[in-house]
Amino acid sequence: MTASKALRTEEFLVNMGPHHPSTHGVCRFLLTMDGEVVIKAVPYIGYLHRALEKICENRTYPQCLPVLDRFEYCTSMSCEYAFCLAVEKLAGIQAPERAEYLRIIMVELNRIASHLIWFGTTALDLGAITPFLYGFREREDILDLFEMTCGQRLTYNYIRIGGVSRDIPSQFIPKAKEFIDKFPSKIDDYVKLLNENPIWVVRNRNVGILPPELALSYGVSGPVLRGSGVKFDLRKDDPYSIYDRFEFDIPTGKYGDCYDRYLVRMAEMLQSTRIVKQALEQLPEGDIKAKVSPQFKPPKGEVYSRIENSRGEMGIYIQSPGDSKKPLRVKMRGGSYNHLQVMPEIVKGGKIADLVAVMASMDIIMPEVDR
Amino acid sequence: MDHTELTKYILEKFPGKIELLDTGKAEPFFKISADFLLDFCRSIHSDEKLFIDFLCNIGAVDTGKKFEVVYSVASVKNHIRFDFKLEQEYEGAEIDSIQEIWAGANWHEREVWELYGINIRNHGNLTRFLLPDDWNQGFPMRKNWDAPDFVRMPEQ
Amino acid sequence: MGLIKKVPVYIEKFPGGGILTTSLDYVLSQSRASSLWYLLFGTACCAIELMATGASRYDFDRLGMIFRASPRQSDLIIAAGTITKKMSPRLRLLYDQMSQPRYVIAMGGCTVKGGPFYYDSYSVEKGIDHIVPVDVYIPGCPPRPESLLEGCLTLQKKIKKEKIADWS
Repeated sequence: MTASKALRTEEFLVNMGPHHPSTHGVCRFLLTMDGEVVIKAVPYIGYLHRALEKICENRTYPQCLPVLDRFEYCTSMSCEYAFCLAVEKLAGIQAPERAEYLRIIMVELNRIASHLIWFGTTALDLGAITPFLYGFREREDILDLFEMTCGQRLTYNYIRIGGVSRDIPSQFIPKAKEFIDKFPSKIDDYVKLLNENPIWVVRNRNVGILPPELALSYGVSGPVLRGSGVKFDLRKDDPYSIYDRFEFDIPTGKYGDCYDRYLVRMAEMLQSTRIVKQALEQLPEGDIKAKVSPQFKPPKGEVYSRIENSRGEMGIYIQSPGDSKKPLRVKMRGGSYNHLQVMPEIVKGGKIADLVAVMASMDIIMPEVDR
Repeated sequence: MDHTELTKYILEKFPGKIELLDTGKAEPFFKISADFLLDFCRSIHSDEKLFIDFLCNIGAVDTGKKFEVVYSVASVKNHIRFDFKLEQEYEGAEIDSIQEIWAGANWHEREVWELYGINIRNHGNLTRFLLPDDWNQGFPMRKNWDAPDFVRMPEQ
Repeated sequence: MGLIKKVPVYIEKFPGGGILTTSLDYVLSQSRASSLWYLLFGTACCAIELMATGASRYDFDRLGMIFRASPRQSDLIIAAGTITKKMSPRLRLLYDQMSQPRYVIAMGGCTVKGGPFYYDSYSVEKGIDHIVPVDVYIPGCPPRPESLLEGCLTLQKKIKKEKIADWS
């Protein structure tokens, strides 16, 4: 105490980003520092503002889907899914049973793929390279499944209004089952690699603690909210589609620090494999797409529809003028938008290296923030 | 609370000040007047039966005649979700900030200000963040907005 | 001896060894082409494919390509993802900070000509070639890792043809 009084320190500014390897894209922080300690962090965004909402206003509803793919490219399936659910709610379209199952299989596989990206890049940010290689190895297996179904690796355009674009090929189910069977043992490998790793524990335990009240007031959702101990998952608490037919648990954390968020995501991947397994077993035969004209005009109205994405609540607001094949307004809401907003509150008083850990554990992805 | 109960409860709680819009969808959709916004948010936030603690989204809409601002709210505790909106004329559009109730409204409101030009009262930090700092071409999300290098998709 | 036949060298044998003579152009361009360190400049969707190319299955390292976080240490920018008007001065800044010789690969439709955001977008640069000079264009949205590898091989071919006399 006396030493710090005697030693005159001065605050200074550090600019972090927009081109910085650990900001997961193009986020910029202006940090007010006192030595190694962050006094204040101000995020600057907009470096990837691509005007997706303006583009959607000038496209017909089916044409919006490729744009939505690029809204949150780690889980493109979820974006399409959220948009299709919103339009179907608006126009009263019911997708066939088989399509609902296929959608859930794809969305859950995509959630695993997205968490694997998170797993790899987070570990890379904190200095571990092996998890990156491991995570992307398993992710390629999932991408193979997507590729044999719709031909794309990242931006799928698979889930369409009223169903899905095409049926799965015959080798999909055996391949998916093979993946589901082997994946839990891979998670064991990851966990063995990191859970007890002293560097990993020191850099994550008690770092970036997010209290549940603060999280809720900032609209934080998804694994970050559950890491803070709030048991809330839209798949269970506001079930959409056919999620009420599957058995799965909602993992939650206890302390709300980076380590808890890591544990929640690892457990979530296991739960997703459970859902995919059940869906593959129950998968019925039948149609895959309701008849929807490409020129169709939904009735006048507005709707906000939300789903549980791998980063939290993904919501799509659509207003239809009623007499047009183009929406009047499409507003996209991504989980990262709120996660980035709460970050200045929780990195305050920590070290600059903790900011990297917090940013990584929040799983922020910039297109979802900037749109 | 299911949707009909919720609608009934809210309509009875604020008689005459709130209007139910029949959009035919599952979740109720209300319309309120702009000067009632703060009071409305405060009471749905503190009400025991509603306890709306989660702000999902704020989005502005340019309908071509006037602005609409749509709020989507939810309760994590009570599993409730509904939307409400208010209308503003083009000239002098101004709404109250609801940051004191939900801190997460900050960026949503900033975005409404930046892209639509709807002023936010008592916001405290209305600065550019999505558009470049030297942007001087107005409010791009308005329907009548245009710029020299803005290419519209040709009609097919 | 397969390599010796292909490259323009002259070998003189000595007792206990030999002297290898070749052109400086050849050695320099060959070594530069096979150790392209790229700047980690991922802005959008293509960055995920860039990461996938660097990871287990596609293994970028076998082309001698390793990512660097600093422009001072890199020879190549792989512009992976949309460049917006707000971001374009930063791209130019990073390019200017790199030491010569430097190369740019435009990965994906956005960097080629605006891609899916060409129409109706008020904030996207319609192609990066008026910000920085581009050596190789890779179309696709996003390009597959195979296309990225092909693009890098094309760039290597281009570098191998360069001569010291052309340096500016």
